[in-house]
Amino acid sequence: MRQALSDVLVNLGKSDSNVLLLTGDHGYALFDSFRKECPGQYINVGIAEQNMVGVAAGLARLGFRPIVYGLSAFIPIRVLEQIKLDVAHDSLPVIFIGDGAGFVYSHLGTSHQCTEDIACSRVIPNLSVYSPADRFELTKCMITAYQENSSVYLRIGKADCGDIHQSPPNIKAGELIKVRSAKKVKYSFIATGSMVVTAIDVADALSSDIDVWSVPFIKPIDHLMIEKICQNSEAIVVFEEHSKYGGLGSLIAEISSEFSPVKILKISVNDCFSQKCGTYKYLLQEHGLDFPAVYKNVHNFLQGR
Amino acid sequence: MKFDPKILRKTVLDMAYAGSSVHIGCAFSIIEILSVLYKNHLHYPENNPLSKQRDYFLLSKGHGVMAQYACMKELGWLSDEDIKNYFSNGSDLKGLSDSRIDGIEVTSGSLGHGFSVGVGIAMGIKIRKTKQKTYVLVGDGEINEGPIWEGALFAAHHKLSNFMVIVDENGFQAMGKTQDVIELGSIQSKFESFGFYAITVDGHNSIAIDKAIEKLWNSDNKKPKVLIAKTVKGKGVSFMENDNSWHYSRLNQESYQKAISLISASSI
Repeated sequence: MRQALSDVLVNLGKSDSNVLLLTGDHGYALFDSFRKECPGQYINVGIAEQNMVGVAAGLARLGFRPIVYGLSAFIPIRVLEQIKLDVAHDSLPVIFIGDGAGFVYSHLGTSHQCTEDIACSRVIPNLSVYSPADRFELTKCMITAYQENSSVYLRIGKADCGDIHQSPPNIKAGELIKVRSAKKVKYSFIATGSMVVTAIDVADALSSDIDVWSVPFIKPIDHLMIEKICQNSEAIVVFEEHSKYGGLGSLIAEISSEFSPVKILKISVNDCFSQKCGTYKYLLQEHGLDFPAVYKNVHNFLQGR
Repeated sequence: MKFDPKILRKTVLDMAYAGSSVHIGCAFSIIEILSVLYKNHLHYPENNPLSKQRDYFLLSKGHGVMAQYACMKELGWLSDEDIKNYFSNGSDLKGLSDSRIDGIEVTSGSLGHGFSVGVGIAMGIKIRKTKQKTYVLVGDGEINEGPIWEGALFAAHHKLSNFMVIVDENGFQAMGKTQDVIELGSIQSKFESFGFYAITVDGHNSIAIDKAIEKLWNSDNKKPKVLIAKTVKGKGVSFMENDNSWHYSRLNQESYQKAISLISASSI
């Protein structure tokens, strides 16, 4: 996924000299190719994220196409007000990339972990929110963000979960992607980012009557597609490496409760910070997001119906 | 005379009275600064606030926006109706800057934003290699905000010589005197230590302001500039001067008429 990010940045930079890459002193090695191929288009703003977003807004006002890179704990969380007032208020074309979302920085602790970014960003008017699951979705999201010519937050979580797709998905912005088809649908799983793989694995282990959908575009999202999924399913399970408050699970529940009520289980992060240090896998276990815990949780939910 | 400080102050009073709005003192301290900028320095080709060739003026201290509205009226960008209907339901002009109004470059009121946006604009102009200039006006209270100093480091590092900060040093912020809330010390030496070329001036002396701006632009061409304007909050109406209650107070008929007559009779 990181190679795909580097490639798409280089392609955008080379095809449009107005593309400027801004980083808050993050992304070591990730930008080597970009700096080599687009040397005048890279600005390390320093460890000053608030200023970086304001600078991006100023550049966008002059017709540049800033791409602002940081860790999701900082972009968008630390600079949420700058994104709201300086950028999204006027739909300025700035792409914010928040890397390392969820528990990627499992050993570093709370300051670098981020499970609140979808909730915080999707309530800001004019700000689109994307959350790709693999390198193909990432490229699709980046190109869409560039073409939308508006304000976008792109969330990148655990980047080495493997490919979901064999080729770039041929979908419109806002559409969900079916990544597992049931013979006859009884249940639907809806997942985003790093949890798409888990959703597919759990479905494979449980039953053949489960559709699995990946959600690279969280906002705006195709409401009609979600309504139809809810109508066609006896129950829904939503998977995300994000707080149970305000994320994809909440979004699906909001749409469902209004248009097509259905029982929904949220596989997400409880309202708590990580307690312990350890590997990414270890932290998923701490939060009940590892395969055995998720399998048990989903199995009990579907059994109990 | 266009941008006559007396007329500008009267327009502010008209708005504040019509809308029963606050922040009169914040607007009065920057009247001469804005008068000089709009009259002699800000270039808007064909009087178009959206011209791509324009200079950029960002009022980062959005609390002074009535002073900017008064200038925009002089330019014909706002009408008598806009002034008369200030704060009426469904009107466009808000109590703090809104970038969706043509002529206002940044949404402010939450402080410390306009500085960084101005730095970004100055950076963009430098990349485009045009001769446009960027001015950002901040309050002295506003420079409590961290992003101001993040932006100052950036502006100096990138040698943004097309960037000028103007500090409205009126000595007050929302809750009291700046020296009692957060001591600022020498604003000039602070900016100088960040790599700015700085001049301090009487912020109500139009000729001095004008000369200082000229001098700054003609100075070291590798440094960003800062003009520290020593001002008086509420300047122009004796009962408002240095009285921080006029950050919050509203005019009634009596105080409005008294203020108008004081301005008419004053020598500034």
